Amino acid sequence: MSDKLILAIPSKGRLMEQTTELFAKAGLAVKKVGHARGYRGEIEGIPGIEVAFVSSSEIAAALKSGSVQLGITGEDLIQESMSDAAMRVTFLSKLGFGFADVVVAVPACWIDVATVADLEAIAMPFRRAHGRWPRVATKYMNLTRRFFAASGFGDYRIVESLGATEGTPAAGTAELIVDITTTGETLRANGLKILEDGIILKSEANLIASNVAQWTPAMTAARAELVQKLTK
Amino acid sequence: MAAETAQEFEALERQAQVVMSVFTKAGHEAVAPAVIQPADVFLDCVGEALRARTYVFTDPDGAELCLRPDVTVPTCRLHIARYADPSRPAKYCYNGSAFRFQPQGASDAHPREFRQAGIERFGDTSRESAESDTIAVIIRAIEAAGLKSWSLRLGDLGLFRAVLAGYEIPARWQKRLGEAFWRPDMFRAELKRLTTAPGAAAAKLPVELIKSLQPSNKAESEAAVAAYLEAANIELVGTRTLTEMTEHLLDQVADLGAKPLDASAARLIESYVAVAAPAKQAGGTIATLINGASGGTGAALDAYDRRLALVANAGIDLDRVTFSAEFGRNLEYYTGLVFEVSAPGFGSDSPIAGGGRYDALMRAAGAACDVPAVGGAIHTERLLRAVKGGAK
Repeated sequence: MSDKLILAIPSKGRLMEQTTELFAKAGLAVKKVGHARGYRGEIEGIPGIEVAFVSSSEIAAALKSGSVQLGITGEDLIQESMSDAAMRVTFLSKLGFGFADVVVAVPACWIDVATVADLEAIAMPFRRAHGRWPRVATKYMNLTRRFFAASGFGDYRIVESLGATEGTPAAGTAELIVDITTTGETLRANGLKILEDGIILKSEANLIASNVAQWTPAMTAARAELVQKLTK
Repeated sequence: MAAETAQEFEALERQAQVVMSVFTKAGHEAVAPAVIQPADVFLDCVGEALRARTYVFTDPDGAELCLRPDVTVPTCRLHIARYADPSRPAKYCYNGSAFRFQPQGASDAHPREFRQAGIERFGDTSRESAESDTIAVIIRAIEAAGLKSWSLRLGDLGLFRAVLAGYEIPARWQKRLGEAFWRPDMFRAELKRLTTAPGAAAAKLPVELIKSLQPSNKAESEAAVAAYLEAANIELVGTRTLTEMTEHLLDQVADLGAKPLDASAARLIESYVAVAAPAKQAGGTIATLINGASGGTGAALDAYDRRLALVANAGIDLDRVTFSAEFGRNLEYYTGLVFEVSAPGFGSDSPIAGGGRYDALMRAAGAACDVPAVGGAIHTERLLRAVKGGAK
């Protein structure tokens, strides 16, 4: 029984609906096991797979620790939750939904700022005027740090934001943000613009394998069967 | 340190006693600042890079705290708490734990928990004399602990600023290069921008906005920026003010018509940054290098020579001392001298001790004014291993 691989899929929201559609298109029916509000399921036709319904961010954690073999979630959540994603997981297939860009956005009225280099240029004068570095509101603390470190920008301070991040510059609790956007509409509505070189990650939902989970030959075979059916 | 044996603990304690007695004999008062510190002081002082390596947590009251990633900032805070006038001279020493997250995983060379023994000297206006004393006390402590074979590397951020001031470079460019010095990649990019297309950023600005700006009149320029935003239906959002934006825009527009930085000046700046030589020769090398400049480095070079003479006077063999112009980058809070002590077999990322001058830190830690400050700290676990002959 422990020879079944566990596939974690989103338990709610748009990602769950689109995952169900994807499986349906591939001719695979995902069925919940036991009562309708349960968290376990199976895929008709692939007996070697047990399905776990989990929230998207917990899927990243489960892949990281290896408590599940496969998962469907956004690349943004994977890259945010592990600094060594390339070692811990393998991206098996992009799924064509859940598109979201992780971007750096500043107030549109900052007409003198178009790039990360411009941020570096204004950071020191800002500190002189306000007594602190510009604050970056985000829930993507690790992605933000890695991106700014790679761009050579270090004069900022992160404030963690778990909701309504795009409203923080107007509220005066941050100067700029790093957040996800699909159309940019919410950013515009909040008087923000994306920096020219401010796209940190173009994310979409992926089928992802954990490299640190236990893999038996039977699990590897079930995985191959699933990938083949999903990508045919 | 989790796997520390009783024997290792005893050895570290004995070593700490030796080191601390050198410090206290040199007139440093022993203090023990708090291990748990408010997180924001560190984050505001040292920036996000160190935050990524700091253990930050929230206490049950919701206050954001951290395990101190070094003991220098806590010692600054202790001094500020003690004295209403932070520029009052004081000399402290400490031996205590510091904590850093190691992204590559903790190891013997890079433990997540280690003990720092160090000295700080606040409010001493004697500049080079305070600096050479600090270096000498650290070296004496290391030798007293039993390490005979060491080398000392010096850097000097003041010299870099003086080199810049020696050329006919607009003040705003000097400031930019000075700030970018911390980040080698950005520095190279900035130097390239100034020599090739200084006006590139401004060229992207709307023509009508550029025309409406008046470099000699800040108030009218600010009104013009406000009018532009209004006409374009862009709302003013956030804490950054119209004045700040206008000042930066005026800088950008000034770059638009500016003559690019002379290529030979850029080459000289690059050659200066590349200087790495025995300390006794470096002064001469730099003097020759900047011979063509219009002057201004005299005082900084004099300070360099004076400091070196004082270090020699303190009994330190100058043949074991090197100078590297680039050294000091990525150590953000230093403002002048930087130094580092290495031992054979320990890589360049594992110095035995280090320190320097950080005149801006006290204010960042909450003092009402800048306070001259110089200090140094020993990585005690590394020192113990170096003494025992273990490498890495």
